[in-house]
Amino acid sequence: MKLLVCVSKTPDTTTKISFTENDTNFNTQGVQFIMNPYDEWYALVRALELKEKLGSGTVTIINVGPADNDTVIRKGLAIGADDAVRIDANPTSSHFVAKQIAEYAKAQSYDIVFLGKETIDYNGAEVGSVMAEMLDAPFISFATHLEVNGNTATINREVEGGTEVLEVDTPFLISAAKGMAEQRIPNMRGIMMAKRKPLNVVPAVDSSDLVSVTKYELPSGKTDCKYVDPENMEELVSLLHNEAKVI
Amino acid sequence: MANKFISLKNLKFLLYDVHNVAQFTENYDYYKMHDLESFDFMLEAALQIAEKELYPFYQDMDRNHVPEVVDGKTNTHPQIAKFLKAYTESGWMSSHVPEKYGGMQLPGLVNLCAEMIFYAANNGACLFPGLTSGAARLIMAFGSDKLKKEYMEKMISGEWMGTMCLTEAGAGSSLSDMVTSAEETSEGVYKIEGQKIFISGGDNDFSENIVHLLLARIKGAPAGTKGISLFVVPKFRKNEAGELVDNDVIPAGAYHKMGQKAIPAMHLAFGDNNNCEGYLVGEANKGLKYMFKMMNGARIEVGVLGSAISSAAYYASLQYAKERTQGRDVNNKNPEEPQVPIIEHADVQRMLLLQKSITEGAMSLVLEAGRAHDLSHVLEGEEKKRASLFLDLLTPLVKVYPSEEGIRSVSNGLQIFGGYGYTEDFPLEQMARDMRITTLYEGTTGIQSMDLLGRKILMENGAAAKILFEKVTETIELANTHDELKKYAAILGNEMQELQGITMHLAGFAMKGELKRFLADANLFMEYFCIITVAWQWLKQGTIAKQKLLTANPSPEDVTFYESKIHTMKFFFHYEVPRGAGLKTRLMDTEMLTMCKDTAILT
Ligand SMILES: Cc1cc2nc3c(=O)[nH]c(=O)nc-3n(C[C@H](O)[C@H](O)[C@H](O)COP(=O)(O)OP(=O)(O)OC[C@H]3O[C@@H](n4cnc5c(N)ncnc54)[C@H](O)[C@@H]3O)c2cc1C
Repeated sequence: MKLLVCVSKTPDTTTKISFTENDTNFNTQGVQFIMNPYDEWYALVRALELKEKLGSGTVTIINVGPADNDTVIRKGLAIGADDAVRIDANPTSSHFVAKQIAEYAKAQSYDIVFLGKETIDYNGAEVGSVMAEMLDAPFISFATHLEVNGNTATINREVEGGTEVLEVDTPFLISAAKGMAEQRIPNMRGIMMAKRKPLNVVPAVDSSDLVSVTKYELPSGKTDCKYVDPENMEELVSLLHNEAKVI
Repeated sequence: MANKFISLKNLKFLLYDVHNVAQFTENYDYYKMHDLESFDFMLEAALQIAEKELYPFYQDMDRNHVPEVVDGKTNTHPQIAKFLKAYTESGWMSSHVPEKYGGMQLPGLVNLCAEMIFYAANNGACLFPGLTSGAARLIMAFGSDKLKKEYMEKMISGEWMGTMCLTEAGAGSSLSDMVTSAEETSEGVYKIEGQKIFISGGDNDFSENIVHLLLARIKGAPAGTKGISLFVVPKFRKNEAGELVDNDVIPAGAYHKMGQKAIPAMHLAFGDNNNCEGYLVGEANKGLKYMFKMMNGARIEVGVLGSAISSAAYYASLQYAKERTQGRDVNNKNPEEPQVPIIEHADVQRMLLLQKSITEGAMSLVLEAGRAHDLSHVLEGEEKKRASLFLDLLTPLVKVYPSEEGIRSVSNGLQIFGGYGYTEDFPLEQMARDMRITTLYEGTTGIQSMDLLGRKILMENGAAAKILFEKVTETIELANTHDELKKYAAILGNEMQELQGITMHLAGFAMKGELKRFLADANLFMEYFCIITVAWQWLKQGTIAKQKLLTANPSPEDVTFYESKIHTMKFFFHYEVPRGAGLKTRLMDTEMLTMCKDTAILT
């Protein structure tokens, strides 16, 4: 089975977020980047598990980004992917990324294309569905479980109050949520081998952005906690009504 | 439990910027297979293992499943086996081993950083792999191919554990008095008989076998240290059919000790039933020399252990000091105003800075020794000798500073918790108990101090001390290029002069043959020597932090990090270095009060 895993680079979760260029761009100075956890922990690991279970096949990781993304890509190779592709371009929008990967994937006929359910920076959760349209293939989002039998996959999705179970034939796209797999810690041999695995850099295809960012805003800071005497219901009601404006 | 037990950022600063590990990967074939990006991945992976398999079990291993011998078996906490599996699978058990033996050939510097992560998360549990890899390295260095094949391979694959068996009831600090005996039965095979005590990891219930590296006296061997030989004594030996059979090593009991309860310290009886076989390692009567190789490594490990516990205690205290509110600013007596976090009190800041300066100073000192170790591995001829000499000098310092000062550091950390620090609700009381062992095993502080003053300083006409002076001078010159650091460079320069003077003063007694007088205050000499050496490490760190601030276009987080380094360096120079004055006074004093012939004075 040929498996493709889309991975992206996101700021470390402890990063202090700030913006530049009139609040239209994320300030990357001094930011520590990691592989998007949904891509790493769930999508990539489930793809590796499938390959191991089948005893054959390949797991390729793909990223759209500049050369300094190679560190994150090699982390994926260290965890166990066989090879990697980097499309050499600045990922300016979901549409742009989807277009680049779709163009590359078209020619390669992958059986399953994995993504994380979303990236933890822009939280778009868009690339999968746009790419599915471009590849004319089914897309199952927010999957928590995946089994493959021959050419047919059984997939669980968490839905409000329960689980939805779906069946789909390959080729298809899937975005992985928590539950799909367990994080793998790369071992030293994997880390050493990653340096020798192929990382192919391919040029981007022409694509335009359909949307542009006009402004980012940080959430307003948390307000102070107010203590109210448990006997004083009147004050509580007044505060909820006048200050918090929730009743 | 606190959220954090170690700072990866600090480790990387020490590894890459202060101790320049790139020098090894760029210049020496032996390490060229590695690069800094891989080190990043490895240290991050080590942190993940520590966070998942070690830290959450730190308190539980202190309280539950504490090893006991029941029906001849010694139980351990079930998580130990799980941790060891993850540790071995990730490659750490063989990380330092050359590639030809299936290892990773990692620079010792990187290995030490990883160990700091593991030990900070759960120091007791990590002694199992620590001892095993030390014992495996000993076989690698001196054992026959047969011993390597039969024992070492199983140890570096993590299937079998290892120990070091030196101590006996009558032979602790004085190993030359050991009486465990060995009698040759066929070539290289000996019948072993004797009792060893305090053997860390001496028994367990998870590994298929345990390989004891044991010191014993071959019957008829000369008295004293010249008659001690080294043996591999497995818990289970292979019979002719290749099956593992009992080798008459009996776990007589586990000591009920103060800390590090995850690992048992065992009383082991060898050959009670006249059926214990040992296999000679290297040549007869050279055992102590061989064992010193393991012990020197183990002494560095104790330095890692001390710095690591100190680190975990620091981050726990720091978090507590930010969260606990108590009292108000001394200028503010208004009870209507809310209380402030205790981190705002000067005395609490003093304690935190003391912890930080000891922890990060100790870590840097340990890595200085790691660098010397790696250099001694890759250099040749005169340069190799220089690196080895320097490592020899640093080893007792690395054993003593992080342990003695670590106790002080953890004690101050506990103080920050107020009364809560004395309860089991917070981890500081456990850390204080765990830390206490570090000044005792692998040679007490007393023994290390006599080693420093009596041997290391004087060896080869003071060659090792000369190397230290040269290196400190280099740092002083570099620091002098920054106005802000000149003052500290000058203080260190003065202290070095003083140190030389004191050393000459004491050496005078040795030359006159007054050995007892020479060594009487060795412990205080050690304390002073350590303060100066760690001041050197701080000036190094401060200088590099300064350079980074001026040249590296740092992010706001980096600016805070480097400024914190410089601030802590200043703290060390203003609060710790002055302690040397009292020690100097005593070391130059002529009144001797500790050499009383008549011990009745101590009533
Ligand atoms: C938890 C634990 C784990 C251990 N693990 C191991 C292990 O795995 N393997 C192993 O072989 N051993 C192990 N040991 C033993 C340890 O190394 C010894 O306890 C240590 O070396 C001190 O020996 P001792 O206890 O006999 O003390 P002693 O040698 O009796 O020392 C008592 C005091 O006298 C001082 N003293 C002794 N001789 C002199 C001297 N000549 N001059 C000045 N002062 C002196 C010492 O500094 C010390 O303060 C362990 C001990 C403990 C407690």
